[in-house]
Amino acid sequence: MGNVQVIKDTFYASLRDRVAAGNVARTAAIRGVLRPGVVVVENELPGAALDGIAPVEAFSLRWTGMRGVGQGLVALLCEIRYATDGSVGAVGMDRGRALAAMDAELLAAASAEPRAADALVFASAGAGGTPSGLGRIFWGDLAFGAAVIRAERMERVAEIEVFGYV
Amino acid sequence: MSNAGGNGLAASGLAGSAAPVTRRVRAYFAAVNRGAGQPTMFDPAGMAAFDVNVPPGPWVDLGWCAGFTRKSGTKIEALVAGAPGIAVSQVRTEVEAVVSLEFESWGKLQMALTAGAQQMNVLQVQPGAAANGSGGAAIAAVGLTAGSAATTATALDIGVAAAGGSAVGDVVAVDVDYAGQLGYVGSGVSGGYVKNGAAIRNDADYVRRVTLNVARVTAITGGVLTLGSALVAGVPAAGMKMSTVAGFCDREGGSYFQEWSAVFVVDGVQGDRVVFHYPRLQTMHGAAEKTEGLVGVQAKGLESGLGRMRLMGSFRALPVRDANDGEMVVCFRSYLPGAMRAI
Repeated sequence: MGNVQVIKDTFYASLRDRVAAGNVARTAAIRGVLRPGVVVVENELPGAALDGIAPVEAFSLRWTGMRGVGQGLVALLCEIRYATDGSVGAVGMDRGRALAAMDAELLAAASAEPRAADALVFASAGAGGTPSGLGRIFWGDLAFGAAVIRAERMERVAEIEVFGYV
Repeated sequence: MSNAGGNGLAASGLAGSAAPVTRRVRAYFAAVNRGAGQPTMFDPAGMAAFDVNVPPGPWVDLGWCAGFTRKSGTKIEALVAGAPGIAVSQVRTEVEAVVSLEFESWGKLQMALTAGAQQMNVLQVQPGAAANGSGGAAIAAVGLTAGSAATTATALDIGVAAAGGSAVGDVVAVDVDYAGQLGYVGSGVSGGYVKNGAAIRNDADYVRRVTLNVARVTAITGGVLTLGSALVAGVPAAGMKMSTVAGFCDREGGSYFQEWSAVFVVDGVQGDRVVFHYPRLQTMHGAAEKTEGLVGVQAKGLESGLGRMRLMGSFRALPVRDANDGEMVVCFRSYLPGAMRAI
């Protein structure tokens, strides 16, 4: 496994844990398993319904770009897509509030200091990370896209640049 | 030793050294004892690894800074000998350093440091007092209850009757009456210099006008005012009084130079830290601000009409003598490498 994967896995694990710390109820049922509500699309079944379409009430991560920035440092662009239908009890009329809550959760998770994490190697899904010796990964500011309305669903795409040494 | 380049693991198991990657700069203040000419020294060995939110005493957090720029004005010239002349050595003919920054938050300390001269507390005025640019004749100050154990650096016991004249949210200045003292005045941090009493009309409130010993009242219980932050002078001394402050005022002009000991911390994302310590800084210009337009990511092409004003400061570094070798210096830069990174 290359060092680029270390950056991707470490950022995912860090964001997952930070989102869960902010809202333990932010979970998603993926293939029948209830998990923290942060998933990496490329780690799920190819062609699965969530590929390119945000599962509701969860944050879907896609790695969409990469650039070398010298001194062994690379920048990866991560797209974070999320959506909500609002609640059944409110007949979806709270979908704007639900999206705002997800905005706030993501912003808090990505903005909390330190915006860096020890680069870890994850040998397999579900296993804990071990030190990679590559220092720390770190990330910049979130850039939020416009809220998009698709029928009764509201969704948004945010982007963030993640850096690490390879 | 080096493994410079920052890429991957060296055979030693150390991660490569790399340039610090950082987001912003945090500033800290400590007082200079002006009368004794004694700055507060920061020891990078004993203090530097502190949490940026919890600076070691007596350092006071000034918050984040933008536009932090250091400039060395030190002049090095060649000593030329022979014909034709050849540089055979070098000599420093002048040592100078300048720091510029923008404080991201406004507060009494930040304003005082960037004011250029005295920074006045605008004391609540007596009804009908003649108007004056930095505040007219003040309402009589309130004495602290003598000998009260309830008075601390974060609480003032003024008694139940006097507390009736205060309200939660008030800003108060706490210091001694002016009683003919000459020289630097202001408890904890010198806030001004009195050349003669007549120049300040022997105003009993003058020290409280220039003191940096201020705080905001956050609660009032049984004649004791709870303060939202500790007074820079610590537990009020006997004889100190309290005046209510309407705001802060500084002026273009004036004769006083505020001086402070400064520490600037730059945290790198790899756990490394750069600390810039200037034991003595004095402002180089009068009060100034920089307005930055607030334009959101999604407001491309749109003007919000809003601007954020930052306090601008430029400071000249003054010298101290390093006890280790007796050298006269104006700044210390310390680098604390991240764990297990090559040096």
